[in-house]
Amino acid sequence: MRLLHAIWADIRFQIKQGFYLVYVIITLMYLVILSFIPQDLLPVVLPVVVFTDPSVLGLFFIGGIILLEKVQGVLMVVVVSPLRTVEYILSKVVSLGILSLLAAFVISFFSSHEAINWLLLLLATILTSGIFTMSGIMINAGCETVNQYMLKTIPYMLLFVLPCFSLIGFPYSWLFTVVPSVAALRLMMGAYQAIPWYEAVSLVVYLAGTNYLFFRLTVRVFENKIVYKD
Amino acid sequence: MLQLIHFKNDARQIMRDPIMTMLLFAPLLLLIVFKLLVLLLPPFLNAKFGFDVAPYNPYILSFVLIVNSGMLGIVTGFMMLDERDGKIAELMEITPLGKSGYLVNRLSFTSILSFIYAFTGIYFLNLLELPLFSIALLSLLAAVYTAIMGLLLVTWADDKVKGLTLAKGLNVLVLFAFTDLFSLNWLTCLSWFFPPHWITAMIKSPWHLPGIAAALLVHLGWLSMLIIGYWRRAA
Repeated sequence: MRLLHAIWADIRFQIKQGFYLVYVIITLMYLVILSFIPQDLLPVVLPVVVFTDPSVLGLFFIGGIILLEKVQGVLMVVVVSPLRTVEYILSKVVSLGILSLLAAFVISFFSSHEAINWLLLLLATILTSGIFTMSGIMINAGCETVNQYMLKTIPYMLLFVLPCFSLIGFPYSWLFTVVPSVAALRLMMGAYQAIPWYEAVSLVVYLAGTNYLFFRLTVRVFENKIVYKD
Repeated sequence: MLQLIHFKNDARQIMRDPIMTMLLFAPLLLLIVFKLLVLLLPPFLNAKFGFDVAPYNPYILSFVLIVNSGMLGIVTGFMMLDERDGKIAELMEITPLGKSGYLVNRLSFTSILSFIYAFTGIYFLNLLELPLFSIALLSLLAAVYTAIMGLLLVTWADDKVKGLTLAKGLNVLVLFAFTDLFSLNWLTCLSWFFPPHWITAMIKSPWHLPGIAAALLVHLGWLSMLIIGYWRRAA
């Protein structure tokens, strides 16, 4: 119940800060652009759009959210409130995941591509969003300004994004699937293109495991480096 | 003279902060990445899909100029937002520099950098043959665009999170650089009121005098409106 209240409070905060309004505008922009993409290219372009924007929005926003809460003293209140760190982080991950999911679904629904596996899209968006939001929380440790945060995200983004080019295909390129972002993009592609069920299941299991590991790590980093600062 | 001393101090202060230095030089890195893409991607697209990128070179150049100058503007905006939160802006405003001096100081530093990056970037990317006058004009528009982005952020955002939301939303402006491609009349007409459209227009028709006048008018119009907005907010 406490967690549900925290998620609802985070969603209301995001609405107040204009996250949803901005994503309505961004979604419209994507729909205009996608309407000019040839039908046969949509199964490639759509997953790339959903993967590079709605799915990673958590990484972009979480830095500012935590920095603002730090300045406003919210984090100090969280420490003495009944809300546990685990619930605080879950609330952030879930609330930003809901926004990712809404944007991904609206973009996909209104695009002219019909053969979409909605269950895979749901899983791919949630799992990708979780990884990026939690990475954002960890990157945030030690940052005092948004510019510092943005700069610190660059190497991590490179680490996540560059291996994704392996999907173009070259000998042994499948080895890059071990990188969570590549696995996530592969699953996202699977939502718009045909993918064998065993591949989809193994990717979901792998990404769920990665999310769990990231979650444990995030809780530790958040408590040690952000709340108590060692 | 006072402005110059503050400008020098500001530059020194930024150079001392490794984070700010890296952020201000990030557009250079971006230029190198774009150069690599420009060199490697067109042959790949041509060989694999038979797609010729050359007709889209004006749009690619426009995109690079807008992204680079916009990035510098956003860095400036967040620097000013942080200074507002930390009450540093208030302190600066009661020094001999004053409110307008503070604003000029903050915006001019990144705008000059933006001008330099745009000027050298056009030569470095070597996507199109443009006259020197046109390169100088595009660099000037890029510099003004940097100031516009910085001002948009600091005038409209109340805090860091709103700043991030706004920075995200401002990405939509890039769309106005490509409206010619969509052949949607309403979108083209709408884009006339936004700077990115005119950056593309100036690349495509460097000697079109009404276009030059409109580009300057739109850029300076936005700049003036935002400066007024900044003053109203500060008052």
